[in-house]
Amino acid sequence: MTASQVIFYILSAFILGTAVLSVTTAKIFRSAIWLLFSLIGVAGLYFWLEVEFIAAVQIVVYVGGIVVLIIFSIFLTQQSGKEMLKASMLRNIASILSVLFGFALTYNLIYNNNFQAKDKPFDWTVNKIGTQMLETGENGYALPFEVVSILLLAAMVGCIVIAIKSKPEEKNG
Amino acid sequence: MPSLENIANNIHQWLNNNFGAPWPMLIEFAIVGLCIIGLFAMLGLVLIMMERKVSAWMQLRLGPNRVGPVGMFQTAADTLKLIVKEGMTPAGADKFLFNLAPFIVMIIAMVIMAPLMFAKGLQMWDVNIGVLFFTAISSVSVIGILMAGWASNNKYSLLGAMRSGAQIVSYELSAGFAILAIVILTGDLKISTIVNSQADGWWIFKGHLPIWIAFVIFMIAVTAETNRAPFDLAEAESELTAGFHTEYSGMKFALFFLAEYVNIFVVCALGATLFLGGWQPLHFGTDTQFNQWMDYIPSSLWFMGKTFFLIFVIMWFRWTFPRLRIDQLLNLEWKYLLPISMINLLLVTLMAIMGWHF
Amino acid sequence: MFLVNYIKDVLSGIKSLATGMKVTGWYALHHRKEKITQQYPDNKDTLVLPERFRGEVVMPHDEHNEHACTGCTACELACPNATIKIVTKFDIQPDGKKKKAIDKFVYHLELCTFCNLCIEACPTDAIKMAQTFEHSVFDRTNLTKILNKPGSKIREGIE
Repeated sequence: MTASQVIFYILSAFILGTAVLSVTTAKIFRSAIWLLFSLIGVAGLYFWLEVEFIAAVQIVVYVGGIVVLIIFSIFLTQQSGKEMLKASMLRNIASILSVLFGFALTYNLIYNNNFQAKDKPFDWTVNKIGTQMLETGENGYALPFEVVSILLLAAMVGCIVIAIKSKPEEKNG
Repeated sequence: MPSLENIANNIHQWLNNNFGAPWPMLIEFAIVGLCIIGLFAMLGLVLIMMERKVSAWMQLRLGPNRVGPVGMFQTAADTLKLIVKEGMTPAGADKFLFNLAPFIVMIIAMVIMAPLMFAKGLQMWDVNIGVLFFTAISSVSVIGILMAGWASNNKYSLLGAMRSGAQIVSYELSAGFAILAIVILTGDLKISTIVNSQADGWWIFKGHLPIWIAFVIFMIAVTAETNRAPFDLAEAESELTAGFHTEYSGMKFALFFLAEYVNIFVVCALGATLFLGGWQPLHFGTDTQFNQWMDYIPSSLWFMGKTFFLIFVIMWFRWTFPRLRIDQLLNLEWKYLLPISMINLLLVTLMAIMGWHF
Repeated sequence: MFLVNYIKDVLSGIKSLATGMKVTGWYALHHRKEKITQQYPDNKDTLVLPERFRGEVVMPHDEHNEHACTGCTACELACPNATIKIVTKFDIQPDGKKKKAIDKFVYHLELCTFCNLCIEACPTDAIKMAQTFEHSVFDRTNLTKILNKPGSKIREGIE
């Protein structure tokens, strides 16, 4: 086993272990923290694959953005420090089954399709990603990029509309 | 002349000649780790001393002056006191997270140092994404603060943590825009490329007014991101006793305290790298006597000098301005800094396209 | 119009911040001349304290081990926070008469606010303020002092 494989297995064990802890722990805040560690582990896996840009984006979006939002909403709920109720037996069985089915599906896909490892090093630079993102020709992502931007813009405008204070009529003039 | 670059290269050569495959790398890891821990200890001692002296001078006091010559060993004595103090864990606290939080904050402050270029050719990891690495990792540090605030089981700590979270999340935006201004001009995220692009003049001189605006916005945003006064709502001692680290004592408190100062160092080093040319000496024109004199000053001194100048400016802010209210804080970010930095970014882009900068 | 006001707002904000920074920056550069704090007086030999400096209450005794306190408790009554407690006794005089005198003049330094009211109240100028200032001790009981020296008595002719 090479050093690279050892690192891979350590990272995978870290991701899976913290993921299991995140769904089994009794305190909701701790579960958010375990989720955070799991996501950091995924970012570590990207660093191991030497795709630093994706790793940084993983950290910015998931760790710095989504987990912080989750933690904020936990803080704003009542009784965030209390232990959660034990899940019922039926729920436990159902979740274990769904995990098994998901695993079986993924394993089946990987086993049957026989993905080949690429020999030559993965070529990426930020410049290349940027150019391809705004390219209109073949393999360009200009259209999806713009569509996603418009979606995000619409979401932001919607947020502002919901959050805006409606002023009394006489003060508008 | 022996430079840090040569020393680092010689060690690398020597290790590669004398050891088998994985060992040079592991030994280099160990050396770099030791250097970073040493740097941390030194930064803690020096910056806290500097803060106390600067604050004393600005308030017409003398500052610490009893322990050692002009009080230089005061912080060492304080550290010794903190080491022997008992690290209490309050009864209702979530013990695991409570004890984990200071280490998270500390580790993040360590990791964030990796791409910094301390002198010519002296860099731990010239990662491709450079400045993006800074913004990515620094966004994690808020988690440590939230964790500390929640695990303390204390309403002041929780309030401090929430304020800190809101503050860091919002000021990250304008700091990011200010960094992007330089990225647009350089065309690369790599720290070494950014530093090399300033060999013929620092960006603050080459970039006209938009870069000045970006620099001011950057300084304001990083002051807020490191929870320093006037943006120290997270630990506002008159309202929340000490915010998220109210319940911490002994070495665990010292880790938070140290992490704050190391974060200041890191953001100031980043500011010096982006705007003030990193280790590049000050040059005017080409081939003048002045330039040659400037080249005699070692590059590490240039880097440290610029960084400590920016640290002094941030301390100057702290001891001049009163603390902002939370609504003023959010107004400043969302109504002033963000729109201005967005328009500024457009100006910088125009400048880069038209080639108006030097 | 909005834009003009906005820009004016930003510029005036920057100007006011710069004014503040100028003040503290000037102080930082001139802290040696302008400093307003005093160092701890280490120069014990040459130290000159102001005449009216109030360190602690003492009772001066002359060379015959005599003081001027009659035990009238005026100081005890004048003290706002019960710093002074006078224990009196009755001396048998040569002519057989009893005379009131002090047994112990108890002074609680830890309670004293150095307000000088006891010295003002004393009709015979038996107590005065000393100029000492290093009062810290390791045990709190050391701060409770008995001001009259053992075996001392009241000076002749003071009523």
